Amino acid sequence: MIVVFEKGYALRHIGHLDLLRTIQRALRRTDLPIRYSNGFNPHIQLSFAAPLSVGVVGLREVMDVPIQGECDEAVFTRELNRALPGCLQVCQSRAVPDDFPTLMALVAGSRIRVEVEGGEAADLVAKAFDRFMSVEECVTLRKTKSGENMTNIRPFVEEAALEAKPDGYTIRCLIRNQKEGSLKPAVLVQALCEMAQVESVSYIAYRDQILARNPSGQLIALEEYAYA
Amino acid sequence: MISQIEKLLERVEKPARYTGNEMNTDVKPIGDAEISFAFCFPDTYEVAMSHLGMKILYHIINALPYAVCERVCMPWSDMLEAMKAEGVPLFSLESRTALNRFDIVGFTLQYEMSYTNILEMLSVGGVPVKAAERGDADPIVVAGGPCASNPEPLHAFIDAFMMGDGEEVIVEVVDLLNDCKKKALPRAERLRLLAGIEGVYVPSLYRAAYNADGTLQSFEPTDPAAPVTVKKRFVRDMDTAAFPDTIPVPYTQIVHDRIMLEIMRGCTRGCRFCQAGMLYRPVRERSLEKLMEMAEKLVGSTGYEEISLSSLSSGDYSCLSALCEQLMEKLSPKRVSISLPSLRIDSVVKDSLAQTQKVKKTSLTFAPEAGTQRLRDVINKGVTQADLLAKLKDAFEGGWNSVKLYFMMGLPTETKEDLEGIAQLAKEAVQTYYSVPKGQRAKGLRVTCSASVFVPKPFTPFQWCAQDTMEAVKRKQMELRGLLSAVRGVTFHWHEPSVSFMEACFAVGDRRMADVLYRAWELGCKLDGWNEHFHFSLWLQAFADCGIDPAFYANRKRDLEELLPWDFIDIGVTKRYLKLEYARALEAQTTRDCRLGCNGCGIERIKGLCKLCE
Repeated sequence: MIVVFEKGYALRHIGHLDLLRTIQRALRRTDLPIRYSNGFNPHIQLSFAAPLSVGVVGLREVMDVPIQGECDEAVFTRELNRALPGCLQVCQSRAVPDDFPTLMALVAGSRIRVEVEGGEAADLVAKAFDRFMSVEECVTLRKTKSGENMTNIRPFVEEAALEAKPDGYTIRCLIRNQKEGSLKPAVLVQALCEMAQVESVSYIAYRDQILARNPSGQLIALEEYAYA
Repeated sequence: MISQIEKLLERVEKPARYTGNEMNTDVKPIGDAEISFAFCFPDTYEVAMSHLGMKILYHIINALPYAVCERVCMPWSDMLEAMKAEGVPLFSLESRTALNRFDIVGFTLQYEMSYTNILEMLSVGGVPVKAAERGDADPIVVAGGPCASNPEPLHAFIDAFMMGDGEEVIVEVVDLLNDCKKKALPRAERLRLLAGIEGVYVPSLYRAAYNADGTLQSFEPTDPAAPVTVKKRFVRDMDTAAFPDTIPVPYTQIVHDRIMLEIMRGCTRGCRFCQAGMLYRPVRERSLEKLMEMAEKLVGSTGYEEISLSSLSSGDYSCLSALCEQLMEKLSPKRVSISLPSLRIDSVVKDSLAQTQKVKKTSLTFAPEAGTQRLRDVINKGVTQADLLAKLKDAFEGGWNSVKLYFMMGLPTETKEDLEGIAQLAKEAVQTYYSVPKGQRAKGLRVTCSASVFVPKPFTPFQWCAQDTMEAVKRKQMELRGLLSAVRGVTFHWHEPSVSFMEACFAVGDRRMADVLYRAWELGCKLDGWNEHFHFSLWLQAFADCGIDPAFYANRKRDLEELLPWDFIDIGVTKRYLKLEYARALEAQTTRDCRLGCNGCGIERIKGLCKLCE
């Protein structure tokens, strides 16, 4: 079952493994036909499309829940939501055949949003953002599993928009994954701070959507990926 | 706008410690309640959330229609610093209400080395640290738990202590304080009324006087509202005692991240060093039916993948095999595993071993406590070496490869031979493993041998005993390390002697230890239970500043006729019985398990309480 869910503001500090365990426990609280793995340590093998960085709110996260036999999508959503806390809720469930591709292999990018709290530093960062979009290259320190390296992060960012609000700014970007992987909002904000020569800004980052590429090369919401 | 607390969370380690919102914690809005209770655990979130007592009382208070209970934990040092720098008061996990906005602030006292955290939490929470400095508008600060059995080192900071099982007395306390609040009674009057509840000790209503040699001369109430003897409270029937059918499920990993099914309270063994064994008498079992009902409800409401059967001596539970069998049958569709934590080596465990391994193999723990039969008789640990080795053999044959052996050093009457016995026992454990044929045993033997330091505890037959000096402890540790390094496959763990020394000072301390505690906290001591935050030199300075010799508490053998600081509390077991047990210990005479016949410990004075001595 492909499940689209929201990892809310109150849960943004929960790490990926903790989230995994939380959802496994929630599933155990239901009577849904969940499939457990075989072996000495039977567990529910969830697979997530893309782990969310700690600190980021996820509005439409996507995971695959192994089920046994069939289950009505609406029932699945309703029952799982009953077992989940209010800050972690399923938006949509979609039954797919067993040979549906792994979600991770489909991920091509994401839409992210950074809500920057107003202030002097924020104004400077907003200006830096315009500069960022006008350059071809922006090299910054990026930490990955394999260590720290200097990466040009500019190619990750497409279709960016900056919007001024009474209490700050909203930055929206389409992140296109590169061969190096994805771009964390925190790395983007850090790069902007460096450009603006400010130490830090207060912000909350959101991942609004995870994207997949459909056969014609277009980026679409992952959960809408049509499997033929 | 991003709130100030949210901004702090961006800067600290493990922010999920402070964010709450866990499953089963959406209690009623604090504003709707007539009276609010902050359940404070004086240690970090991970430790707090592993504590069963907190979950029970949280559930009981929140079940009262007029009351709300929220949780407050000790922040880690980085968060504390950030909070102090930004002027953010200590807040509850549920509604982020500042500690000083609660009507009642309740601490659970599980461990002596968390006492400085109590002072720090009050201070950061905006509550005057010293009870005498609190006014009518400040919360009433109460405390309970095993360490309340010697409340004196905390007498200056806690308004009222609750002695014994908390299930019933907590409701009476909340009830009474709610009434007082409605009537807007002054603080002094509230405390006097509290002293009238059985099991409640209000330290400000008593006076202690000391002899020239530092020992206690007299201890008596100064107010007619305060009883001369404070009687501990007991839950009579575990089947009807309140128990939560839903408990909070943390997001982050905590120390004991599982359902703790309390199968019974109390222990019949009578180990002479063990405070819990004396405090929690008599044994009260839950029925099989009740336990099955609780287990099913808890699995349904939490989704936990593991249940541990919890008690002081789970192997002694009368229907253990049947319980394991039924739990296994009922819970295997949900793939829930069962673990027995405090397994006794002389319990009938073979059947249950066969049961638990069906689901999962965890490490087995055995606690022989002492290295020779003589010393095991002194402490009344009724097990023999042959028993232990037989049980180990069962475990290795059953496919276990990881065992932990717990010992204590510095026990009364200990000799060099007893220390050598520890190494000998570890060696024989290893040999037992190799005696199981290769194909039958699991690969990769791991024997962990832990030796803690004996700490004299109130209400035990060893309450009069001295702790070894730190020098003696260090010498013994070196010696044992040398002996064990010769045994292949054994890892040796030992405790920092200075921590055990401080534990002893508080465990058997009197009112003057409150001054030392306050001074140490002023000097910056906190989170003392965590190695990286324990600064023994600051504690020594605090003792020096107060003109108090710590050896008076930790290393002094007490006279049997001495008035002890906790003598005014009646925990059920009598002082007469403790003296008798101490005399027997010195003669290496054992006392039978009280299931084999009543030993007259004093519990029999309370009609109908002990099912065994009726």
